[in-house]
This record gives sequence, C-alpha cells and structure tokens, in this order.
Amino acid sequence: MGVATGQVTGPVPATRWRTRDIVVTAIIGVAFGVVFWAWGLAWSGLDPLFSLAPWAKDLLYAVWLVPAVLAPLIVRKPGAAVFAEMVAAGVSTLIGSVWGPDTLLSGFVQGAAAELVFAFTLYRNWSFPILAAAAVASAAGAWIHDWAIYYTGVSLEVQLLRGLAMAISAVVITAGGSVLIVRALREAGVLEGFPAGR
Amino acid sequence: MIALVELADRQLSSPLGRASPLLKLGIALGWLLGLALTTDPVPPAFVTAVTLASGLVLGRIPAARLAAGLAPLWAAALGIGLFNALFSAANTDPSLAVVAQAGPFRLTEPAVVAGVGLAVRVIAIASVGVVFGLTTDSTRLVDSLVQQGHLPERFGYGALAAYQAIPRLADDLATLRQARRIRGLRGGWHPRLLVGLLILAIRHGDRLALAMDARAFGSGPRSRFRTVRWSWWDLVLAVGAALVLGVALSLG
Repeated sequence: MGVATGQVTGPVPATRWRTRDIVVTAIIGVAFGVVFWAWGLAWSGLDPLFSLAPWAKDLLYAVWLVPAVLAPLIVRKPGAAVFAEMVAAGVSTLIGSVWGPDTLLSGFVQGAAAELVFAFTLYRNWSFPILAAAAVASAAGAWIHDWAIYYTGVSLEVQLLRGLAMAISAVVITAGGSVLIVRALREAGVLEGFPAGR
Repeated sequence: MIALVELADRQLSSPLGRASPLLKLGIALGWLLGLALTTDPVPPAFVTAVTLASGLVLGRIPAARLAAGLAPLWAAALGIGLFNALFSAANTDPSLAVVAQAGPFRLTEPAVVAGVGLAVRVIAIASVGVVFGLTTDSTRLVDSLVQQGHLPERFGYGALAAYQAIPRLADDLATLRQARRIRGLRGGWHPRLLVGLLILAIRHGDRLALAMDARAFGSGPRSRFRTVRWSWWDLVLAVGAALVLGVALSLG
C-alpha cells in the first residue's frame, strides 16, 4: 500500500479548530457511535461462533478504533483522535451500550494512544506507516485496558495471542479502512476544504 | 432502529435525574476503577444491587424499562465469564482442584471463580451505564461538562449538535439500504453503507457548522440560558457512592 495522501511531510499545519472541523469530527464520532452500538450487540452475539478460538474474534476488534485514525486523517488537528473517540464512546454510552461507562474509559485510552503517534509527527506526516503505527498504538492501549478490566484471569499466552490478533486487525481494518474511506469520501467531494480533500 | 433515548420528566425530575451529570459520570468511572481491584464476585454483585435499587427508587425508572435496557448484557457477561474461566492461567496448575476435564482441557476451581467474578463485573458496569443513560439528558450532560467540568464550550456544544443528528443518521441509513434494494442488490449490511452514511453525515455537519458560524458560535464570551450548579444533594450522592464502593470492596 502506498502513501495515503501524496505528501509525506506536509506544511506546518494550522492548529486552530474551525467550527467546521469541530462539527465534522464530532459527527464522524457520532456516526461511529451508532456503528459501535450495533457492533457491540453483534460482538456479543459472535461469541458462540468463536467459542473454539476466541482470540480469533480479536481479528475484528479494530472496528472500535477506526474513528481514532479516520477523524485525524480528515481534519488533521491536534486532539482529533481523542475528540472523535470520546464522542463515539459518549454516544454509545447514552444510547445504551453493553459496556456502559467503560466505553468512555476505553475510548479515551484508544484515542489518546493514537493521538500520541500523531503528536510525535507534529501532525505533519499522514503516510500509511504512521497511520498504521497510530492504529497499532491504539490497539495496544485497548489491549492493556481490556486485560485490566475484562481478562484479568486469562493466561499470558492467550493475552499475547489476543494482542497479536488486535495489532493485525488495527493495521488492516483501522489504518487500511481509514485510507479507503478517505479515498471514497474525497471522490464523493465531501472533503473539499479539508487537508485530506486535496 | 436507533433513536435518541426519550426520557420522561418523571426520571429527569427524580433525585438521580437532578444530580449533576458530571458527578454521576465521576461515580460511574470511580466504581469501575474500584471494581477492577478485585476479581471476587461479591463486590460487583453488591454494586449491581445498589445500582438497580437506586435506579428504581432514586431514578424512578420503570422496572420494565430497566429490564429492557439490561437485556443485551447477558450475552456479553456470559462471553467474558467463559473466556476467563476457559483460558485462565490457573487451569495449567496441577495442584488445583479440577471442576471439569475434557481430554487435555482442565477447568479448575479458581478459574471458575474468576470467570464468575468477571461476568458479574460486566453486569455491574452495564447496570451503572443503563441507570446513567436512563436518568441523564444529553443537553444537561453537555451543560454540566462545560459549566462544571470546564470542557471547552465549542467542543462541548459542537458535539451536542452532532449528537442530535442521530435520528437523521438512522433515517439516512434506512434510505441507503432501500436504495440498495431498489437497485437489485441484496439487502442486509454492506461496508459500502458506511461510506454512504459518512458522506451524508459530513454534508450535514458542514451545513450545521455554517449555520453555527452564521450565528457567531464560539466567537466570543457566552451568556447561559441553562445553568447547572452544584447542590447539597450532589455532595450527599458523592459521599454515598464512596461508601457503597468502600462497603463493596470490604465484602470481597
């Protein structure tokens, strides 16, 4: 896979958030909050299917992480990963997620981990390797969070298998998926006026 | 289909409905982190009981509504519990009592206890979430986050404006699915639907942002129509919540 958007190192980005950046980031979060809500129900329903190799289910884990990469890739502002994930988490809490307030905690961890990677490039590098690194960082945050909250008793081997499955999932679904979605959105013409639209 | 939760005045004017949403959020997260300290099933069971009782009494949530909100959690709790029991590190320890054995697979007693503990933890977390959702109005939540939690108001109210687009997004999704069927494509769910949904969502976000800018949103200091203030009841609730967590952990 090539570079997501042409330039590897862009110009010094404008860091002030316009109203449009705020609302579009938030609405991406909201759209994914709705997706999360449906995905959360499907996720628990998938359990019987994966009862023999439950860690294989974590190959689908990265659906939860998409806003943490997609929203920053579109608006390219500091804080976009955390803001989009928190809005998505807040929506799925308010409309009644299975995971309740923990959605907010995991949303924060997932967003903040991706944010660190983008901050490290000073929000100037949006190439595929950086997106993949942010996605894997986000998955790592989620992995540690889940270990502490939901899988305390599980043996180390299974934890490592889960981590591996989540990392693969993050690169393919979160980073790859975000690039494909941005391409489709750009072709539809809705990204005009955003850095990702050029 | 997905819709914004319509809350009745009865719940919003209840003691839990009048409490500061920021405080309720703090309690929910505090309990969650507190429960993460133990895998014993008793503390989360106690927290669940207190939560459901206060939802019914302090939140005046109708029992049927509460039960409906809790319905999806059983599968999740079962899944997490089984995963922890079956793949517990304790299962490989030969000195522990075996509950069940099938070929090379052993299920030991501590593994079962931990599995049950984590399943109950999921139930506790979900109950807190359901009671929070059924007693908290989204506008008041954002008012509280901005006024009491000092969240920057452009982000708080920007997010609220986007949140209120949910019924619209649900309609858009229904239209997109019908459009696929009219074109002779199979119904059901397809990843292309997500792209269509995002296109419509971003367009709506653009119009919303334009309308907000036209009304000088975020360009200067704001006056407030609705104010959220700390009250004595918030203090009582905070102390009560801390006591509940303390008692729960001392039971474990």
